[in-house]
Amino acid sequence: MYAGSFFKWSIAAVLCGFLTVSSAAADSHGKASADFIRSLADKAITSLTDPETPRSERIERFRTLFNDSFAVRSIGKRALGRYWRQASDTEKTRYEKLFENLMVVTYVDRFANYAGEALDIEKSRVEDKSIATVFTQIMRKGGAKPIRVEWIVGTNGVIYKIVDVKVEGVSMTQTLSSDFASIIRRGGGIPGLLDELEKKTAQLSAAK
Amino acid sequence: MSFFRSRVPNNCAALFLAGVVLVLAGCAVPPPVSDKEAWTEYQEVNDPLEPTNRKILAFNRGVDSAVLKPAATAYRDYLPGWLRTMVGNFLDHLRAPVVFVNDVLQGEGDRALTTLNRFWINTGLGFGLLDMADAMGIEGHDEDFGQTLAVWGVPSGPFVMLPLYGPSNPRDAVGRVVDFLADPFNIWTANTDHEHLRFARAGTLAVDVRAGSLDLIEDLEKSSLDFYASIRSLYRQRRADEISNGKGSANLPAPGISGLPDRPVFDAALQMSRR
Repeated sequence: MYAGSFFKWSIAAVLCGFLTVSSAAADSHGKASADFIRSLADKAITSLTDPETPRSERIERFRTLFNDSFAVRSIGKRALGRYWRQASDTEKTRYEKLFENLMVVTYVDRFANYAGEALDIEKSRVEDKSIATVFTQIMRKGGAKPIRVEWIVGTNGVIYKIVDVKVEGVSMTQTLSSDFASIIRRGGGIPGLLDELEKKTAQLSAAK
Repeated sequence: MSFFRSRVPNNCAALFLAGVVLVLAGCAVPPPVSDKEAWTEYQEVNDPLEPTNRKILAFNRGVDSAVLKPAATAYRDYLPGWLRTMVGNFLDHLRAPVVFVNDVLQGEGDRALTTLNRFWINTGLGFGLLDMADAMGIEGHDEDFGQTLAVWGVPSGPFVMLPLYGPSNPRDAVGRVVDFLADPFNIWTANTDHEHLRFARAGTLAVDVRAGSLDLIEDLEKSSLDFYASIRSLYRQRRADEISNGKGSANLPAPGISGLPDRPVFDAALQMSRR
């Protein structure tokens, strides 16, 4: 395995060089964002992985975690895109509530499943003075390929919130936005979207 | 010469037929150009064949739930992990020549060398079944001619849903055909009457890929209001990610970054959520 160790060493050398350079250049919020994701993963493990917890209780715990860690309003607003400006105040209020509910019941099970698997934080990259990307991999059990997840974290210097999540290059916000826009465009309008959201959320809350 | 003598594979015929069907079928009605935002959105969605595409998706989902999904679920649940890893490695190994050629065509010298090194290491030490190169820290990657065309600056063209093959666009569909014709394995099977091996490979690949996306698709089916629109968005984003080799790039649509809120919006959001 002479060749093997040679490759390992050369790659390790390159990586070391890279890490020194990047950490020296990085603003402090790059590292802080990575720490923020680490602590979110730890919280998810302690509050969501116990199989004894009833689902309704898990949903409420996840709701707290989700609101604490994600910029929910900002994500919801971007998911609605240009239609946000066209919505009335009543519609906006109703949308924000429904959006939060949809996110919570959609992701509670997935989060609980993945919380048990190892989350490797690989690096963080500062995008500008308020945004950093944290690159992670979810290591799967049983020979499945690891999943590449990037967390886009925003900060005002004091608190940190996730503004988008990209799984294998697919942005949560962008996918939601295409989904919502399609419902609105296909004749439902904003009221149609709200009705669909309500239906979907009810369906998902009832599941299991 | 063998390349030119090889028979035109029937899969290609199916692709071309699909193209003809799409052209003959119904079109989406564009909004008036005077409605600027709606017009921009229509062009971004770039899906003039949407009504037909939706019907094809419904057909594909029927086939999927009757055949592919059960097979992929059984494959994932009943085969041991090491065996699935070997199957995956072998499928990747068969693809190496096509990946290598596309690395070269994209001017990615280092990545081409990686593919070449992986090929001889895995042939010699792993019989194509074990990924010894990965254990040495030489990670594999995929490439295809659709991505090569994108790197060369060829636009994707409108979104299309191909029967059985799923989401695509003219550029990627052409890419598939070219990769197929250039693949030494396919040329060999076509010229030596080993067609059954080609079908076996295609079938195994379909099951392997589907097994890898079981959770993802299930999540999307569960959470999306309009599954078709979500699949369309997902396909575009995945391809943009693959074309940029997972790095994102200034001249490609980098999902997420372009959609980031500007600072005032973000600060306002933080203020609101702190209450």
